[in-house]
Amino acid sequence: MSGPSRRGRERAQLGFLLGPVSAFLTIFLGGPLAIMLIYSFLAPGLYGGVEWQFYPHNFGRILGFADPEFEDFDPVYLAIFLRSVRIAATVVIITLLVCYPAAFQISRLSEKRKSFALFLITLPFFASLIVRLFIWVLILKKTGFVNLTLQTLGIVDEPLELIYTEGAVILGMVYIFIPFMFLPVYASVEKLDWTLVRASQDLGASGFQTFCRVIFPLTLPGVIGGSIIVFIPSLGNFVVPAVLGGAKTLMLGNLIEQQFLAARNWPFGAALAMLVMSIVLLLLFIYVRHETRRGDDAPGIR
Amino acid sequence: MAESIVRLEKARKAFPLPEGGTVTALDGIELEVARNEFLTLLGPSGCGKTTLLHAISGFVELDAGRIFVDGDDVTERPPHKRPVNTVFQNYALFPHMTVGSNVGYALDISGTPRMERDSRVGEALEMVGLGGLQNRLPRQLSGGQQQRVALARAIIARPKLLLLDEPLSALDRKLRQAMQIELKTLQAELGISFIFVTHDQEEALTMSNRVAVLDGGAIQQIDTPRAVYNNPANEFVASFIGASNLFRGAVKGNTVVTAGGDVIQVSVDTTSMNQVTALLRPEQYAIANGERDASAAYMDVTVRQIVFTGAGYELHGETASGHTVVATIAAAQQTQVANAETSRRATLSYDPAAVHLIPASGGKP
Amino acid sequence: MNFVHKLGSLSLIVYVFIFFAFIYLPIALIVIYSFNADPVNMMRWSGFTIDWYRQIFGFRNASSEAALYIESTDQLLAAVRTSLIVAASTTAVATVLGTAAALAVFRYSFFGKRFYRVLLFVPMLMPDIVLGIALLIFFVGVGISLGVGTIIIGQCTFLISYVFIVVSARLAGMDRTLENASADLGADEWTTFRKITLPQVMPGVVGGALLAFIISMDDLVITYFISGTSTQTLPIFIFGMLRRGIKPEVNAIATMMLLFSFAIAALGLYLNRRKR
Repeated sequence: MSGPSRRGRERAQLGFLLGPVSAFLTIFLGGPLAIMLIYSFLAPGLYGGVEWQFYPHNFGRILGFADPEFEDFDPVYLAIFLRSVRIAATVVIITLLVCYPAAFQISRLSEKRKSFALFLITLPFFASLIVRLFIWVLILKKTGFVNLTLQTLGIVDEPLELIYTEGAVILGMVYIFIPFMFLPVYASVEKLDWTLVRASQDLGASGFQTFCRVIFPLTLPGVIGGSIIVFIPSLGNFVVPAVLGGAKTLMLGNLIEQQFLAARNWPFGAALAMLVMSIVLLLLFIYVRHETRRGDDAPGIR
Repeated sequence: MAESIVRLEKARKAFPLPEGGTVTALDGIELEVARNEFLTLLGPSGCGKTTLLHAISGFVELDAGRIFVDGDDVTERPPHKRPVNTVFQNYALFPHMTVGSNVGYALDISGTPRMERDSRVGEALEMVGLGGLQNRLPRQLSGGQQQRVALARAIIARPKLLLLDEPLSALDRKLRQAMQIELKTLQAELGISFIFVTHDQEEALTMSNRVAVLDGGAIQQIDTPRAVYNNPANEFVASFIGASNLFRGAVKGNTVVTAGGDVIQVSVDTTSMNQVTALLRPEQYAIANGERDASAAYMDVTVRQIVFTGAGYELHGETASGHTVVATIAAAQQTQVANAETSRRATLSYDPAAVHLIPASGGKP
Repeated sequence: MNFVHKLGSLSLIVYVFIFFAFIYLPIALIVIYSFNADPVNMMRWSGFTIDWYRQIFGFRNASSEAALYIESTDQLLAAVRTSLIVAASTTAVATVLGTAAALAVFRYSFFGKRFYRVLLFVPMLMPDIVLGIALLIFFVGVGISLGVGTIIIGQCTFLISYVFIVVSARLAGMDRTLENASADLGADEWTTFRKITLPQVMPGVVGGALLAFIISMDDLVITYFISGTSTQTLPIFIFGMLRRGIKPEVNAIATMMLLFSFAIAALGLYLNRRKR
């Protein structure tokens, strides 16, 4: 039980607990990511596969320095990239606008109703993603619920183009990511000290001023957290555009899928994936740094 | 059989600080606790009292020094092999076990036969006044009841020593006072030594056989409550226990003269002393009637504030040199109090024999 | 002022109802229309039937028209079986590894602990398409043939994170003095782990396992890339059906999947509340 033997036994226990999981993740997570990074800098083979030589033009095809031997720079990839960012940002803003007032109202319910409401919001998260998207196909398609209803009521004669549009993609993502946004926002709103709101009003601030100067800043951590959690899976999403989008709404995720399963240009696909990955890491890095700094400055507000 | 139940020799422990450097929690502690003694460790937060307790229970490994329990060296033993039990500050009741399983835990571990275990659990719960609550869960009990369960759980294995880590701090005032008396009675009944940690000086004075006052990882004084209160070893002890008026100054014959020129009469032998601190407790003062008594000493003060405390008054004043003085005045002196209130002046009397002198070397600045 | 206030909170209440309607009306719709008899347009109501349910369980239907739409029942059942095998295996592996990691990070201090904790969040936050293709390149590059085995390995890489987080949250809520109290009362480390620590974290472990099971059953993107050509899980089967054109029995399959995941989720939430 003296120093060294106690430490020795702790080392052994630690190794027993952490060894297998470390080995597993090193091989099956670290390995794939490393290989993907390497692939993104290799030249594509003529008939699929790769050629083992350094080749920066995979990134060049996207960012503007394409391989001069094969092609001119085509901004189509950059356009897809920007569209993905735009769609993801739109999804973030809409989910935020939808969830924020709801979080407010639900945080003011009685304990019992509150936990029931939370239960109802968490539940869809567990339901199959593909099923929830499929529902929107049925609702939006040419002979779907909305068009049939509108036609029956005589509001429109011809079915509207609802599905296979950017709007449908955004709607589908909003529907899927609502719980992702709601829970962090709700966590901040719930923690909000209402005496501060009363204090602000007591000091002469109007409702709108109180919101801007007190309520919103205090709930900002949840807003930022939720925004990041929604933005990340939206950006690289390929299922929603594949089901609800058309050729005009191709996103990064679909492009990556095409490179792997149709075009068989794996290095280019890996480069696209690296691009998505680096944006995600950048966002997370900024968020974590921001969080730690805020934690140091104001330990009281959490 | 050893004389003392616990003995610490030169116990030393330092903790690394997150920002670098270390903080000394135990600075060469020497301590002996007698059989059947109720010892209280008293001190401000961070004084090392909890570390000392954890060193005895085994949750803290000493950097140097030895610990003996009932004559056995337990310094290297892990907590579960030490014959001491602890009542934790937050009770640490196992939330997934019933009251009965909590109390019987130590017996289950040691493999006590079912019949004996059950009867001892019943006895222990009876002893703390919770008979019949075996099948409740801890969260179904009140704070006071949880406290008693923790106590029953800690005494059931008949430890040689019971450690209590601020066990009453979460209770409200009334309940706390009731529990103080109960703990004292229980200790007498069980005949085992208690080491009780607290930062509440009143609690320490009421319950203990001896009080050890800690500061900066060292024992400042260890003595009976009365001695600690009346004859504090240094300024820290004097100001930490009870309210106190301290006058630092030089001995001149039968007086102590402060740097500001205040004079305190004393009647103890001052021949061996030079620089001292004179201690006058607030209750040693009265307001003088006008006629002067040769055996008493007097002090003129400007009245700053008089507060009614129910049992009497508290007079806050200032001497000519600006030294703050607090005096407790008996309710019977309400005429004098009224005069002092209107004139904003008062003459306080005190007995020179009651003044306690602390040698300057013994005190922290 | 007061009137404005009341109007404000009333509109908020109405808003919350609309919010929940947006979440649940589509789900209600699919459940209702799974009983629609119309074989051509699933959204045009033409009578009540349970034929689609009979069909997915392999019964012959009275209406021969409906028979035209039978997607192979065998394929569906095979997909369900694959999904269950994958989910059961990944849950077992991810729960053991994730719980071990959570215990290690909670209990011991070691070099790089903070880094390790962050690292365990990464697979969960990584876009699944990135993880999917990285695994695909890896398996093909190393020469492991795609199938049930690769799906299990691939899903475990991120399910470990989920279990780790759920168990860690439970551990963080645990009072560490309980372990001290147990040692103080004479229990050695192993006994303390068995009698105090384990019962305390068990709800977290069960919760993590249920979560892992549901996510595994539902995973589409990662599985899509590493399942190979001959293996299909349920989500991939449905994804394929959606791409080939929708058949009426998809409604019935979807409804049953919804019920299944809701039942497991409700069970998990119920257990979690009861154990606390």
